Amino acid sequence: MLLARFAENAFWLGRYMERVESLSRLLMVTESFAADQDSDDAWAPILNVFSDTEEFAKRGRALTALNVAKFYLTDLQNSNSVVYASHMAKENARSLRHLLSTESWRNVSVFHSRILALQKRRFALSKLSEICAEIRESCFTFRGVIEATCYRDEVWRFNRLGAALERADQVTRLIDIKYFRFDRDDDHEAAPPDVAWWNTLLRSASGYHAFQRRYSFNADPADAAKFLLCDPHLPLSVTNAAEAAIYQLERLDADFSAGAGLEVKRAAAALRERLKSPPAKLSGRSLHRYLDHIQQEIIALALTVNARYFAPA
Amino acid sequence: MVKASPFAGYDAGRNYCEILGLADTHSPPNSVNPLAKRLSNYKIRTLNQRNSAAERELHNLGITFTVYSDAGAIDRILPFDPIPRQIPQADWKKIDRGCKQRVKALNAFLSDIYGKQKILKDGVIPRALVAGNKNFRKEMLGVKLPHNTYTHISGVDLIRNEKGQFLVLEDNCRSPSGVSYVIENRHLMMRSFPDLMEGVKIEPVSDYGMRLREKLTETVPGRYQNPRIVLLTPGVFNSAYFEHVFLAREMGVPLVEGRDLIVDDEDRVYMKTISGLERVHMIYRRIDDEFLDPEVFRKDSMLGVPGVMRSLNAGKVAIANAVGAGVADDKAVYAYVPRIIKYYLDEEPILDNVETYICREKDDLAYVLDHLEELVVKPVGESGGYGIVVGPKASKAELAAIRRAVKKNPKNYIAQPMIQLSVCPTLTKNGLRARHVDLRPFVLTGAEPWVLPGGLTRVAMREGSIIVNSSQGGGSKDTWVLR
Repeated sequence: MLLARFAENAFWLGRYMERVESLSRLLMVTESFAADQDSDDAWAPILNVFSDTEEFAKRGRALTALNVAKFYLTDLQNSNSVVYASHMAKENARSLRHLLSTESWRNVSVFHSRILALQKRRFALSKLSEICAEIRESCFTFRGVIEATCYRDEVWRFNRLGAALERADQVTRLIDIKYFRFDRDDDHEAAPPDVAWWNTLLRSASGYHAFQRRYSFNADPADAAKFLLCDPHLPLSVTNAAEAAIYQLERLDADFSAGAGLEVKRAAAALRERLKSPPAKLSGRSLHRYLDHIQQEIIALALTVNARYFAPA
Repeated sequence: MVKASPFAGYDAGRNYCEILGLADTHSPPNSVNPLAKRLSNYKIRTLNQRNSAAERELHNLGITFTVYSDAGAIDRILPFDPIPRQIPQADWKKIDRGCKQRVKALNAFLSDIYGKQKILKDGVIPRALVAGNKNFRKEMLGVKLPHNTYTHISGVDLIRNEKGQFLVLEDNCRSPSGVSYVIENRHLMMRSFPDLMEGVKIEPVSDYGMRLREKLTETVPGRYQNPRIVLLTPGVFNSAYFEHVFLAREMGVPLVEGRDLIVDDEDRVYMKTISGLERVHMIYRRIDDEFLDPEVFRKDSMLGVPGVMRSLNAGKVAIANAVGAGVADDKAVYAYVPRIIKYYLDEEPILDNVETYICREKDDLAYVLDHLEELVVKPVGESGGYGIVVGPKASKAELAAIRRAVKKNPKNYIAQPMIQLSVCPTLTKNGLRARHVDLRPFVLTGAEPWVLPGGLTRVAMREGSIIVNSSQGGGSKDTWVLR
C-alpha cells in the first residue's frame, strides 16, 4: 500500500503542475484583454482574485501590468507564481521520484530548468503571451508524458486527483476576474464589454469553438458562464474537473481498497450538488457569490482528502 | 590528409594501462587491442561531442548528486568519461573469487566479534582494535542474524599496481555507494556509443536490483513469507539521494524516511500508508548507525526510527547492513584481513592487501616517521578520501602537520607505500590521456555472496592525481567485463 507521504507528494505534484498551466492561462487572458483597454487597471483584478493585493503591496512596486505579470510569473516569494509552483512541483516529484516513470522525472526536471531560465530573461510585456504560450505547451507535454508512461497505480490516481481539484478551483478564479474588473462597483456606468470578454475567456479555455457549435447563435453571455462552469464535456469546465476528481476517488476505492470514507464522500457530494444547481442569474454579483461557494466546496473537499489520506495515525 | 588518432600524444608512462597493458608492452594502439583499434577510428571532436550530449542527458535524467547552498539546490552530475575500462574474463574470475572470499571472511569476523569473540581470545587481533573502535556497537553483542550476514552490501576497493596485479586498498561494509553509476553508465554508453559496443560481449549489470532484493529477502527471519522490504533514506537533502531513488526503483520497494515508520509495543515495525499501518520486515538503511534509533544511539536524531533496535533484538525486523558492521571496514582492521581470511576460512588470500604499516605497532611507527615523504598516510575510521596525506606530493608544511598528528595519536593512523595506480585512456579536449583509476566491485551477501560483474571504475580527472573520490573531483567510467 502506498505511503501516505507519497500520496501527498503525488497530489501536490498534480496541483502545482496544474497551477502553472492555469496561471499562464490567466496571464494570457489578462494580457490579451488589457491590450484592447490600454490600461494597467486590467491587471489589478488578478490580485483580487487570488486575494494577493496585500502581498503585492509589500513588494513596494507600482501597480503596472509588467509588475503584476512578473509577480505571477517569476516571483519566487509568491506562492501563486509560475516559478514557485514549478519549483514545488519539482520538489514533490523529487520525493516521489522512485515511483514516477523516468520519463516523467526527466520532463519535470527539464520543465523546471526552462522556467528557471525565465527568471534570468528580461522580458517586455509584448513577450508575455509568447512566454505564457510556451509554458502552457510545456504543461501539455508533461501531461502527455505522464499519461503515456505512468503506471496506473495509487500514485497516478492521487496525481490526477490533485490536478483535477486544482483545475476546478483555478477555473472559478479565471471566471471571477470579470467581477473584480467590471461588476463590483454598482455605480460603474461604463458598459462592460461582455461578449468580447467571454469570447476571450472561452478561447483561452479552448472552449470557444465548442461553444459556438453547442449554442449555435443568439448565445447569451450567461450561457458562456454556464458553459465554462457546468458543461460536462469541456475539459476545463468546473464540472468536468470536479467529476474527474470524484472519479479518481472512486477508483482508489475500487482498485486499491483505499476507500474515501464518509467525510470525503459527503464533501464530494456537496460539490457535485452545488454544480448541478447554478443560480438563475449567472452574472454580476450572483455569479461571483456562486463562484465563491464553489471554491469553498472545493477547499472543503481538499481538506477532507488531506485528513483521510495524508495524515496517518 | 592523415586523420589524427585520438591516441596521438597518449603516454601511460611506467604505469599499467587498462587498455594497452604493461609499460613494456605499450604498443601502437591500432595493432593489438580491439577496443583501442575501435577508439582509433573516432575523431577527438566526435568523442567530445558525444560526451557532452551524454553529460547533458545525465543532467536531464537527474542522475545527479545535489549540493545545497544558500542559493538553493544545485544538481551536479558525477563527471562521466566515455572511454570504458575493460577487464578480461580471466582477471575477472580472480577478482570475483577474491571478493567473495574476503567478504565471507569479514562476515565471519563480524559474527565472531559480536558473538564468542574467539579471534580475540586466540590473540589473532588485538582486542583494543575492536573494543576501542568507534564503529563497534556493544548493542549488537549476542544478537543472532540470519546466515550470520552482517555486511549484505559490500564494496571492495581495488587498485592495480605497475605489474598489473590487483590489490585491495580498502573494504566498505557500511553503505558503499556508487552502484547506481555502474548501471546508469552502462545505459548511457549503450545510448551514446552503440557503435563502440557493437559485437563486444560484455557481462550485463542490469539485474543488480533483482539480485539485491533476492539477497535481502534471504536474510529476513525465515518465518515471514513475502517479506516487505523498504529502503530507508535520510531524505532528499542527502547527496546520495539519487542512488536511493535508483535502488528503490530497481528493487520495486518504497523509499521511506524515518518519519514514515513506527515501532509498536510488540516491537513490530510498520510504515504509514494511505490505508493505515503496514508491516515492514527488512530495512535496507542508507543512514549511519548513530542516527538509526534515537532510543539507543543519538537522542537528537530526526532521521531514525525510535524502537527499531528493539525490533531487531526481538527478531522481528532485519536491518542491512547490520548495525556495527563498520568495525570490519576500519582501516586499522584492514591490515589484519589477510590473517582474518586465514583464521576463518583456512585459505590464502586470493587478492592481496597493499602493504600496510600499522602506526599503533612500535616498529611500524618508527618506520613510518622515518619515511613519511614516501608513504601515503591515512587516518583510520574516515571515509571518502578525507584526511589522506600523499607523502611524495605533500608540501613541507603538510608533512610536518601529519608528523605531529601521527606522533600525537599513532593509533589513529596507518601508512602504505605509494602505489602507482594503473591508468586508463580518458577523454580530454586534446584527445585521450592517461588518468589513474581504481575499481570498486560490489558484493551482495544473503546466504551466499554474489559479485556484480565489473563494478565502479572511478577516475581521477586531473592529470597525475591519484585521488579518485567523487567528493574530491573524481569521475567514473563504464566497466566492461569481457566474456
